[in-house]
Amino acid sequence: MALVGLIVTFAGFVLAAASVGISSSTTGRLGMVLVGIVLSLIGILGVINPAYQKNAVWKK
Amino acid sequence: MRIMKKVLLAFSITWCLALAGVVHAQAPAPEPAAAAQAPAAAPAPAMITDADISGVATPKAEDKAAGDPAGTITGTAADIPRADAAKGLAISDVVSAVGQNLIATNFIWTLVTGFLVMFMQAGFAIVETGLARAKNSNHTMMMNFMVYGVGMLAYWLIGFAIQEGGVGAVANLGGTAPLNSEYAITLFGKSWGLFGQKGIMLSGATYDVGVMVMFLFQMVFMDTALTIVTGTAAERWKYSAFIISSFIMGAFTYPLFANWAWGGGWLATLGSSYGLGHGYADFAGSGVVHSVGGITALAMAILIGPRIGKFRRDGTPNAIPGHDIVIVLLGCFILAFGWFGFNPGSTLGAAANGNLRISSVAVNTMLAGMAGSFSAMYYMWLRYGKPDASMTGNGLLAGLVAITAPSGFVNPMASVIIGLIAGVLCALSVEVVERKLKLDDVVGAISVHGTNGIWGVISVGLFADGKSNFGGAWNGVAGSVTGLFYGDMGQLVAQLIGVATLIGFVFTFSFVINMILEAVWGQRVTAKVELEGLDIPEMGALGYPEFVLKPEPAMGT
Repeated sequence: MALVGLIVTFAGFVLAAASVGISSSTTGRLGMVLVGIVLSLIGILGVINPAYQKNAVWKK
Repeated sequence: MRIMKKVLLAFSITWCLALAGVVHAQAPAPEPAAAAQAPAAAPAPAMITDADISGVATPKAEDKAAGDPAGTITGTAADIPRADAAKGLAISDVVSAVGQNLIATNFIWTLVTGFLVMFMQAGFAIVETGLARAKNSNHTMMMNFMVYGVGMLAYWLIGFAIQEGGVGAVANLGGTAPLNSEYAITLFGKSWGLFGQKGIMLSGATYDVGVMVMFLFQMVFMDTALTIVTGTAAERWKYSAFIISSFIMGAFTYPLFANWAWGGGWLATLGSSYGLGHGYADFAGSGVVHSVGGITALAMAILIGPRIGKFRRDGTPNAIPGHDIVIVLLGCFILAFGWFGFNPGSTLGAAANGNLRISSVAVNTMLAGMAGSFSAMYYMWLRYGKPDASMTGNGLLAGLVAITAPSGFVNPMASVIIGLIAGVLCALSVEVVERKLKLDDVVGAISVHGTNGIWGVISVGLFADGKSNFGGAWNGVAGSVTGLFYGDMGQLVAQLIGVATLIGFVFTFSFVINMILEAVWGQRVTAKVELEGLDIPEMGALGYPEFVLKPEPAMGT
């Protein structure tokens, strides 16, 4: 699951960086960048962290 | 009677004549008729030749032998180097001296401010050690002590080359250009710089006085990013793993993002290539330094896990107080002092190219720090009934972190606003990190540097007022950096792309590296070592051998 989370996180960055080539309008780029940031945050906080919390020392 | 009339008549005539003379004498002289004037020929410009200055008086030998208590004969034309001693002082000598003095001013400024930033390592060291328990004080202090050397070694070997190898000429530092090779790819029809290729071990043509200044200044910034991670992972990070992890961060993680932002890489060219403002603008490193450090700290916190006893079985956190709040606040003051080098020094000069704005940068810095400490303190006071010292100190740091990127581009009012928001943001972020994400961050580095580093990056895109002028352009785009509130949405988009890169790329890169290190080496000490304290098992000596450490109270489970 951590690997999936890393892929999602990285995909968010790729989307944001690619926004400059995909769209020529500032508003369009802004939308894509924001989606990319949210995607990366989901990857980190919603996938990777919970995966590691499953084996947290305080649960043992 | 007749005689009397004649006398009276003569007297009257005389009086009249006298009065007429007086009146005539007091009447303003009539304007002389305007003489016809031929238009004056414009004077020919005075041309100064070598002959005019070669004979400039210089102090006599006998006067110099007598000493100069008033300083009137020290520093004269005699001190200007002559290219041709036989020919004497020439105009070219004087002009060259002006140029050298300008660059020397910039050298001194950048080097001295770099020395201040180096001293911030001491501030970070005592903040982190003070917030850790006494049984880990030697270990925590050693991590902060040696991160200086480990980072410098990595940076000298390869990190500086990756970051600055393609930056080209730096006008403030003399304009020589041995750092002239950037590896780039072509995407969407434009060049995307990825990393530099000159400057490994400062050898070859990069053995240059201007490059030396750049290396020192950039190195101390890099080390700030590295030391941030030690704060989050303290009290359970294996010392050997810390050395390897920090070396890789100094060699690759930090320099990559720094190249993209400062070394002429693709983030900086978002303006010139795609019309997004002036490209990603980060004056002194809210993103490059603090967010890279904070995001890497986040990756480490997830990987390494919390300290034993930090969380109960139901997930509620236990407070683990540090052992010396006095040195924590002293450390915060040292950091605030060093920040006068961090931000103002980022002009890389104090002469020409708009560099007198160093005064504005310094004032913005101190205002934001002050505002952050106030808002954090009052937030804690209102919420928990006490003005918490450690959060107040972190609030100061949060304000300083947040103003780091916009410090060169905003006005004092904006600085205060940015700092006020930073202080509260720091306190809120600490709660989220601990209570919602269940992550153990010993010093709050994720919130101070990660969260507020990102806030600082975004602040540029909002508050930059277009009044700065650093040589008429920034990142190759003419004009001044201007944010959304002053009319440029493109700048905000460029900043957000930087944020996405920090969160999406830097986190992934850091996490993968440390995940591999965890698999092949192991990052965390054993439970036995952790409970005993890392000083003896890891370092072989206690931080405070004269004191008897009392047993820790049982943590609620």
